[in-house]
Amino acid sequence: MIRAGPELNALPHPELLAAIPRLRRYARVLTGDPTRADDLVQDTLARAWEKRRLWQAGTDLRAWLFTIMHNVHVNQLSTARRDAANLSLDAEGANAAWQVPVRANQLERVELLELVQHMGRLPVDQREVLLLAAVEEMQYDEIAAMLDVPMGTVMSRLSRARAKLRRLVEEPSSGLRMVK
Amino acid sequence: MPYDEADVHAYADGQLAPARVEAFEAALARDAALAARVAEIRAQSAALRSALDPLLTEPIPERLVAAAARPRRRRLTTKLHAYRTLFAAAASLVLGIAIGWYVRAVDVERQGIPLSFPRQVAFTHALYASDVNRPVEVWANEEKRLVTWLTKRLGHQVHAPDLNALGYALVGGRLVAGNEKPTALFMYENADRQRLSLQVRWSETRSTDTAFRYAVESGVGVFYWIEDNCSYAISGNVDRSQLLAIARMVYGQLAALEASQAQPTR
Repeated sequence: MIRAGPELNALPHPELLAAIPRLRRYARVLTGDPTRADDLVQDTLARAWEKRRLWQAGTDLRAWLFTIMHNVHVNQLSTARRDAANLSLDAEGANAAWQVPVRANQLERVELLELVQHMGRLPVDQREVLLLAAVEEMQYDEIAAMLDVPMGTVMSRLSRARAKLRRLVEEPSSGLRMVK
Repeated sequence: MPYDEADVHAYADGQLAPARVEAFEAALARDAALAARVAEIRAQSAALRSALDPLLTEPIPERLVAAAARPRRRRLTTKLHAYRTLFAAAASLVLGIAIGWYVRAVDVERQGIPLSFPRQVAFTHALYASDVNRPVEVWANEEKRLVTWLTKRLGHQVHAPDLNALGYALVGGRLVAGNEKPTALFMYENADRQRLSLQVRWSETRSTDTAFRYAVESGVGVFYWIEDNCSYAISGNVDRSQLLAIARMVYGQLAALEASQAQPTR
């Protein structure tokens, strides 16, 4: 039984710990790379500690942490890849380094693997909304607040993401182009 | 048009405003292509969830477990610094302990890095040796009770060796929940407040190899050996030769005690 004492502060905060898997998944979809994803999660948690006074207990911790992650990621993108930050338009080559965030043996159906592969070819703005709406099942207004965009923008990104993903699945060669 | 493109997605996602649902469902009833679209969107979402949910069960790397803990202030003494990297890992080890109330949503026991016996020993030592308030559960003034309690919990006779000849006095002991089996921990301290741990654990597997092994984890030295079904480890932030002398003394005393107990009484 751990008694309250100096060591309690060295132990992970249980709610933050519980949020880590979803943060990692979101980060994997944003960055496409397992190491950079975990770096992003680590940076997000560090920011969360810095800003802890801004979080109100009882409000949605997931949304708060996701917002921080989104903002940290945007900052990282804009400083590191200024000219390649044109994310919202042509997807081809937008993420040449996309690593499928699942292991093949974890999926029973190969088409699931392909689906996630295709997801990497969506522009990050669209991919992000697709994850938040379809996978995390967040409310649209929550997503809009998180991304700091109008609801209409969320809906159009979602609509384009789904349409594009469907096209890629139906005709994988339709979007194919040699990268570099 | 009683509905728009956004409505299609909203309805598929179960988020369409109640005021608009009736009109949309009327359109659905008339329009097979629309119904197919809604079904296709739902199927795609379900497939994405199936594909991405396994990510949620991956073991969490230690550095992220550490990042979920309150950051420690920069001003640390050198000795504390040596323990700092171990705190996070020790914390994750502690969470591996069945403290059911603490974390339920995440299986932290499945760490990103498997913990070897010497590593567990080092982390456990770091966690308790630096504890100012309560390094042990039972103090040395109740040594008999401590030994009885630990013997009972391990299911095998344990002993607290006497290290006074090397300048270490018994502080006390505690029970540590190991990954599989409970571990008895005896803590010792010298005049410089250097602390040592002796950790004892029983396992199912019997070993015939009793060689002393040595490992260092972030400044904590560990000498460990296995005798039949029992693993022993001496750990501390001391140099190797001193730790070896202590390990030999412990081994010698324990061997003598085992031998005397094996003697048929009268």
